Amino acid sequence: MIAALSLVGACADKTNTPRLIAGGDPSRGLAVIEEVGCGACHDIPGVGWPRGTVGGPLKGFAVRPLIAGRFANQPDTLVTWLKDAPSLSPASGMPTMPIAEDQARDVAAYLYTLDDH
Amino acid sequence: MTIERAPEGFAGWPPPILDPAGPFAGPVNILSWILFAMSAVVLVVVLAALAVALFGPKRWRVRLGGERLVWIGGLAFPVVVLSALLIYGLGLTSHLTDDPRPGEVRIRVTGEMWWWRVAYLDGGGREVLQDANEIHIPAGQPVVFELESADVIHSFWVPRLGGKKDMIPGRRNILRLQADAPGVFGGQCAEYCGGPHALMGLVVVAHPPAEFEAWKRRRLAPSLAAGLPSRGTEVFDASGCGACHTVRGTAANGLAGPDLSHVGDRRTLGGGILPTNQGTLAGWISDSQAIKPGNRMPAYPVLSGEDLRAVAAYLESLK
Amino acid sequence: MTSETGFDRTLYERFPTTEPRPRDELDELEAVWCRPRSTWQWMTAINNNFVGVYYVGAAMLFFVLAGLLALLMRTQLALPLNGFLPQETYNQMFTVHGTAMMFLFAVPAVEALGVLLLPQMLGARDLPFPRLSAYAFWAYLIGGLAFFCSLLFGLAPSGGWFMYPPLSNITYSPGINADFWLLGIGFIEISAIAGAIEIIVGVLRTRAPGMTLDKLPVFAWAMLIFACMIIIAFPSIILATTLMELERALGWPFFDPARGGDPMLWQHLFWFFGHPEVYIIFLPAAGAMSTIVPVVAQTPLVGHRLVVLAMLATGFISFGVWAHHMFTTGMPTISTSFFSAASAAVSIPAGIQVFSWIATVGSGRMRFNTPGLFVLGSLVIFTMGGLTGVMAAMVPFDWQVHDTYFIVAHLHYVLIGGMVFPLFAAIYHWMPMVSSRPLSDRLGKWAFWLMFTGMHATFFTMHLTGLMGMPRRVYTYLPGRGLDLPNLISTIGAFLFAAGVLIWVIDMIRNFRPFGARNAGNIHDAPGLEWLPNGLYSVRSIPVVSSLYPLWDQKGLAGDVEAGRYFLPRTATGHRETILTSTLNAEPIALMRLPQPSGWPLWAALFTAGFFLLLTVQAYWPSVVSGVLAIYCIMTWAWSLDRPLPQKTVDIGAGIRAPTYVSGPASHGWWAMVITLVVGGMVLAMSAFSYVFLWSRNPQSWAPPPEVASLAMLLAMNAAGVLLAWGACRILRRGGRVRAALATLLMLLAVGLVGGAWGLDLSAWLATGLDPTVNAQGATVYAFMAWQGFFVSVAGLMGLFLLLRWMAGLVRADCPSTVDLIALFVAYTAGQGAFAGLLLRLFPGS
Repeated sequence: MIAALSLVGACADKTNTPRLIAGGDPSRGLAVIEEVGCGACHDIPGVGWPRGTVGGPLKGFAVRPLIAGRFANQPDTLVTWLKDAPSLSPASGMPTMPIAEDQARDVAAYLYTLDDH
Repeated sequence: MTIERAPEGFAGWPPPILDPAGPFAGPVNILSWILFAMSAVVLVVVLAALAVALFGPKRWRVRLGGERLVWIGGLAFPVVVLSALLIYGLGLTSHLTDDPRPGEVRIRVTGEMWWWRVAYLDGGGREVLQDANEIHIPAGQPVVFELESADVIHSFWVPRLGGKKDMIPGRRNILRLQADAPGVFGGQCAEYCGGPHALMGLVVVAHPPAEFEAWKRRRLAPSLAAGLPSRGTEVFDASGCGACHTVRGTAANGLAGPDLSHVGDRRTLGGGILPTNQGTLAGWISDSQAIKPGNRMPAYPVLSGEDLRAVAAYLESLK
Repeated sequence: MTSETGFDRTLYERFPTTEPRPRDELDELEAVWCRPRSTWQWMTAINNNFVGVYYVGAAMLFFVLAGLLALLMRTQLALPLNGFLPQETYNQMFTVHGTAMMFLFAVPAVEALGVLLLPQMLGARDLPFPRLSAYAFWAYLIGGLAFFCSLLFGLAPSGGWFMYPPLSNITYSPGINADFWLLGIGFIEISAIAGAIEIIVGVLRTRAPGMTLDKLPVFAWAMLIFACMIIIAFPSIILATTLMELERALGWPFFDPARGGDPMLWQHLFWFFGHPEVYIIFLPAAGAMSTIVPVVAQTPLVGHRLVVLAMLATGFISFGVWAHHMFTTGMPTISTSFFSAASAAVSIPAGIQVFSWIATVGSGRMRFNTPGLFVLGSLVIFTMGGLTGVMAAMVPFDWQVHDTYFIVAHLHYVLIGGMVFPLFAAIYHWMPMVSSRPLSDRLGKWAFWLMFTGMHATFFTMHLTGLMGMPRRVYTYLPGRGLDLPNLISTIGAFLFAAGVLIWVIDMIRNFRPFGARNAGNIHDAPGLEWLPNGLYSVRSIPVVSSLYPLWDQKGLAGDVEAGRYFLPRTATGHRETILTSTLNAEPIALMRLPQPSGWPLWAALFTAGFFLLLTVQAYWPSVVSGVLAIYCIMTWAWSLDRPLPQKTVDIGAGIRAPTYVSGPASHGWWAMVITLVVGGMVLAMSAFSYVFLWSRNPQSWAPPPEVASLAMLLAMNAAGVLLAWGACRILRRGGRVRAALATLLMLLAVGLVGGAWGLDLSAWLATGLDPTVNAQGATVYAFMAWQGFFVSVAGLMGLFLLLRWMAGLVRADCPSTVDLIALFVAYTAGQGAFAGLLLRLFPGS
């Protein structure tokens, strides 16, 4: 975990470099996204359908400085957000999602591959 | 918490038509293989004859090049094969469409644009339980499906359990299906019904008979969460959801959309297309048009994030 | 063998003649059949050498356009949950793809092939009704383009090519999209039936002398059966589309179960047309195969008679299989068994043809040129499609694969193998005859192999996709079901196929030359008359045919024909003309005068199209104006017809004299009218079926009819109408100006009586208070009234036309055909009125 953070810290000034998540597998992450139906609310590159409009589109998420316009886009925050957004932001429309820690890591890893503008 | 793969139970491999799970789909599987084998043999014979005709030695080609080949290959052979096939094939399914017999489990499924209204009937044909998009049956016995339509023509198809049958406005078609063992079986509307026809799926869940009875008893009562006051119920009522949806045990008694009395208990959302969880529920409620374009439920841009989550949580709790 | 017409067949021995031909004879012939010089003349050309080429060209244009839609759809389906096409666009595209391929490509393409080839094959100078061909073509082109363009404005229908109600009714398909479908179909109904009349009369009445039915080329047999099937099958879709438009526009509930209608009625009517339609497409293509196979194998077709019988059998059986599209609708087991057996049985005649082709190839020596390859490809693909067809004919199997991609695979195998590949074989085979030079054999082989490979990659895979549970007509599919890979393969295959078609298109453009140049000669050493040296007038002289393969068996025929040593080596009257021959033995009866090019068919087509188009976009007054103009154009066009020539008989070659005018059953116009009335009669029969069908759904809600007493008057008036019409024909023939006036008067009275009977019937029903919008009985009763009203109106227009001709002095004993044809029409209308009156009152009774 610390290794991951230090890696991230080292790269923090280079916004184009994908942030790395230790143990996260982007391809497994995409599978989780499709199984759990994240597309119901989000337009996610790589997910053809659904392309929900409720939450923000996630194109270029890897280079976005903030999550939901409020929280620093850092791996741990993102993993927490993915599992239980209301714990960070009680007014958010994003509900608690039925995914485990490792699945959330995979999803986060996938989101950090979305660095195109 | 973990997620199950393919909540709709509809996997493409092995091909469901060739992977029967009940006595009505089984013989069709045998027939299918007979037909495949017959076709392969005929195709090989035709291609071999063609190859001889094209490239064979003169002596062979002369034997081939007469009217005798036409009489034998074109007339005698197909008459024999087709007659045998017809006699065998027509016997297989004739009993599937008889009227319901006493003691059989009866379920009425009504095709709607673009979902399935499900009603469990008693022996007299009266409705005892309403549900939508997910059908529960006892394994090991034939179940009578009474198929109707509320708008346009749909077709009810659960390939691993048997063939399909159209749902035609103004008519009632009967179809018997049976699952030999408990399991989850995917289904799909097979007759083009406009708009999002592609996204009109359903799920059939087969239980051991005793478990089916228990399930049914549980379902006859309203969900425990239905009566509890919560932010979710407030928002649900205030937004007028009850005008189209029914939640038994509450004031919501609309009939236009699917019954939501136990929506949190269903495996899928939107007609067999998404898993049911708070996230997908929130996405569906807020803007289902982005998920299943053309469906009859409007978008609800008036809900705040918290309200949306509250309704989603409420619906998920209806088990 | 005795003579059919009293013609002395020893006269045939005078040919080939030996005396030298006058020098300017050929110049005169060429002057009469001259090529168009201005754009306007190109557009108003009516000769089959031009209209046929336009027709084939338009059909191929729609093939390419509808194929492009297929590519867009395959792109959408390449990936699961792909967002390339929106749902509604996809739904419109598959509807237009199916509709255009069936109605704007397949039927017109084979019909066009007939228009283009038949006169030359039969040794005629042109088809018997060249202006009708032109009218049919322009109506089809304008209507087809309008239908296709609706896609560009998002106004295309999205209910599937079968347009099942209730999905296609005004509730579930609001807007004018579905009306555009009905519009497109309407045009194709008009042009298909016009073409069918043309082909039947052409094949039966304009064959070269001596071409008895047993010497009739197999392609002409196929076209004859094809045309008869159109006459029997198309009325069903005419009725179905009319009823649907009445339901959509006026709310008459034919298909609405809430008001006593039944959506199943549409399915019966649609498939009674729709399944024979498949064989309507297949038969001419099979005829082309049976013509091309002997040429590429350089030997006569093995089992020619069996093949002709098989085609006849296909025609018959195909009318007994329509309900196999409806196995899953809950029909009684006894019906499904019958239709299952018939559907399996229809594969037998197909098998006979396949084995005949193999035997022919075996008894000759195959040449692997491009037509040869397409023929072989067709044989393989069609056999595979036939086998899956037998599978789908088995009810239990059909219950599983119905409406899945398995069926998509099956129907594309049948249609591509049974129609598209033979058509390409035909294009490569006959191009040297039509254009100045053959298509490239090298490019053709590329096109073939790309199409053959692409076809299997696309559609063989779809069998599996279907077994894996993918339904038809879906704009997307979910991932994780194993459907991703087969769909991707299908998409790649579709692009391969398209690449093959593209090569062909490039070759066509490369090959393009102004029409009508001398042909490249008989480069295939083919045996048919179409390979004789020919110009815009078809053959220089019309040969006496004594063999099924005249160019193989009649030595020196080409030279003698070109030297003018046979029938009609010149223009006998200074007009366009051909020989009218008898039905069975093709004995010369008369000289048939053919019309000159004219702009009226083009204008008539334009205003007919305008009428329906404006009606579709709900511009009612402009549409009425356009309709009136269309009627005016058709009347003007007909005005110049039925004029006797000053020469009563002429020398049609070797001193044989033939009359220049015949009337009654001997004339081609009489045949055309009778066939038209058969179409009307079939619509009537299908209406009666619909009436009984809807009654049987809901007998208790049927109200009693008007009292039977009103029937006596109705029958009496119609009977009197028939008598007067018959009398008019008899009296006119006895000659004299007074009798001509009397005949005209009698005919007008007949029209009045039949119209009066209709008015009486209508008022009797109105008096019962039955409302067409309230229930199915009202809707069907008034549909009968509307149909009869339409016939009465046409009879009225004919009466007006006759009156005008009488005033112009054109009603005369020496040209009684106009009166004859009007009498036929009036008599039929009277019979129809009487039938409807009887049916509606006596069944089910009060």
